Amino acid sequence: MIREDFYRTLRSPWLWTILALSAVLPFMLSSYHVHILTIALVYVALASAWNIVGGMGGQISLAHSLFIGTGAMLSAALLVKFGVNMWAGLVIAAATAGMLGAIIAWIDFRFQLGHLSFVLITLAFAEMAAIVVEGWDFLGGASGLLLPRDTGDVLAFQFGGGRGAFWVMLGLAALTVLVNVAILNTPLGYYLRTIRDNEKAAQAIGVNVLRHKTIAMIISAVLTSIVGTAYVRYLTFADPYLLASPVITIEIVLFATVGGLGRAYGPALGALLLVPLGEVLRGKLGGVVPGLHYFIYGIVVIVVILATPSGLLPLFERLLTRCIPKLTKT
Amino acid sequence: MSELWQALAQGILIGSTYGLLALGMGLVYGVSGIVNFAHGDFISLAMFMCLALFSAFALDPYVSALITVPVMTAIGALVYRFLLKPMVGYQFLMVVQLTLGLSLVLQNGILMVFGGQPARTPSVVESKLIILGDVVLRLPHLIAFIVAFAMAIGLFVMLRSTDFGRSIRAVHQNARAAALMGVDVGRVQVLTFAIGIGILAVAAALLLPGTPIQPTQGLQYTVITLLVVVLGGMTNFVGIMLGGLVIGISEAFGTIYVSDTLGRLVPYVIFVLIMLFRPQGLTWRAS
Repeated sequence: MIREDFYRTLRSPWLWTILALSAVLPFMLSSYHVHILTIALVYVALASAWNIVGGMGGQISLAHSLFIGTGAMLSAALLVKFGVNMWAGLVIAAATAGMLGAIIAWIDFRFQLGHLSFVLITLAFAEMAAIVVEGWDFLGGASGLLLPRDTGDVLAFQFGGGRGAFWVMLGLAALTVLVNVAILNTPLGYYLRTIRDNEKAAQAIGVNVLRHKTIAMIISAVLTSIVGTAYVRYLTFADPYLLASPVITIEIVLFATVGGLGRAYGPALGALLLVPLGEVLRGKLGGVVPGLHYFIYGIVVIVVILATPSGLLPLFERLLTRCIPKLTKT
Repeated sequence: MSELWQALAQGILIGSTYGLLALGMGLVYGVSGIVNFAHGDFISLAMFMCLALFSAFALDPYVSALITVPVMTAIGALVYRFLLKPMVGYQFLMVVQLTLGLSLVLQNGILMVFGGQPARTPSVVESKLIILGDVVLRLPHLIAFIVAFAMAIGLFVMLRSTDFGRSIRAVHQNARAAALMGVDVGRVQVLTFAIGIGILAVAAALLLPGTPIQPTQGLQYTVITLLVVVLGGMTNFVGIMLGGLVIGISEAFGTIYVSDTLGRLVPYVIFVLIMLFRPQGLTWRAS
């Protein structure tokens, strides 16, 4: 089913060298820098998971805050309110997110939503979810939920903060990126890109549109929800205004677009560049003038989009081909 | 019973301003195919300009509008010319992304200048009430209703019977044909975007008295505006005014009759249902 390219990526020494080098980074950096990288990896995973639907399938879903919120708020609520082990919470939340994803995919297909309608309906769902979370005490309401302290007990989904969380996020980020590579090399990936480029034509030549859109949405939702659970465990505080608000989806979509939509490594590149930039700006300037880091950040996004509308990854590839002509043959 | 009339009246009055907000977006979408996700942040910008004018010169928001409308119109023209026009021909999503980036810039620019505390801009008419039988109306709402409908009618007349209005409609119906007939499509697009932003400045002044403002409110206004535009069938201007009334009324009913959380859900539920079952919008004739 999967083309040889995927196994080649999996066997590639580059992949494992980069992963191994990344894994020892926490021993060399200060805890502040490890924190920044951990957040960056969270967004690498989220943007890559979103890419499956938004980049490959061309469906600009703004409902992903629903899946992050399910992964984070539901598992946190189950733990705090009922004492449910967070591993079980992770599975329950991921299953719920997958179901929500399937419902959204079905609505999209059943009502033949156009691109704009899909954006708007998913945005409406995200807004509704934010209102529900803020208004429902079980999920923490407007004040959020405080998780028990992280003691490093892996059986209770605790990884000891700092380095532990970094490694978990590194694993999740690598997993989602590899899922991207895998999907691009399976029939599903080809079907998705066909649907993105011309849905009617895809249907006419016998592509099962509903089935492939649903599978893509479920994979994306489940991955997003798992990252949400890991993220809330790292933050220790389930903040509804961060984890269940449409703003987080908008950020994810920005990273994916800036990096390069529909490419396996594009969204990861966008998140790896923009998140540390935002965090460093916040650290350096946030205390001086509130909002300045986002302001600069917004300008960077606008400049990048105006300069290279297809994203940074294609730009980097062009630069690479110019500098090292040898690499292009592989 | 009096509650019902109260909710209805309040909804209609507020809804008319929502309709006005959405007319700007519908006009731009019809002519340029751009959905501006920074729409709400432009409203914020206009509102905070009024606040600044009040703090500096003690100007009433209604008077400030005389200054903010031309300024915002000029800003709109510049934004279209230098940010949006270069994106023509690229994927729909890229323009959306660009306006999202713009929204970050505007929102945080406002935050940097004014700080994050909710602020109020008082007006002389702010606390005046008008009592009609059982129904109590706030004067600013009534002014908003009258001005919004006057502007809407003015816009219809402009579209129907001026040369500029006819060129807008021509570009809206078929940009290529309009260009072949000698309409300067680029100019029409810049001007409609500028007018759309200028209309926002009017709506901002109308909404301002009695409403606390804060820099982060932009996205909510964008979402409300999108709801209204979609309800109106995107480019049908009568439908858009009607959509504004529907959202205004459903919001008023939601907050009066249903508990707080559910009440805020009502407009979204209505939106999703209409989106699914009447995707062409509320009006029967598809535009």
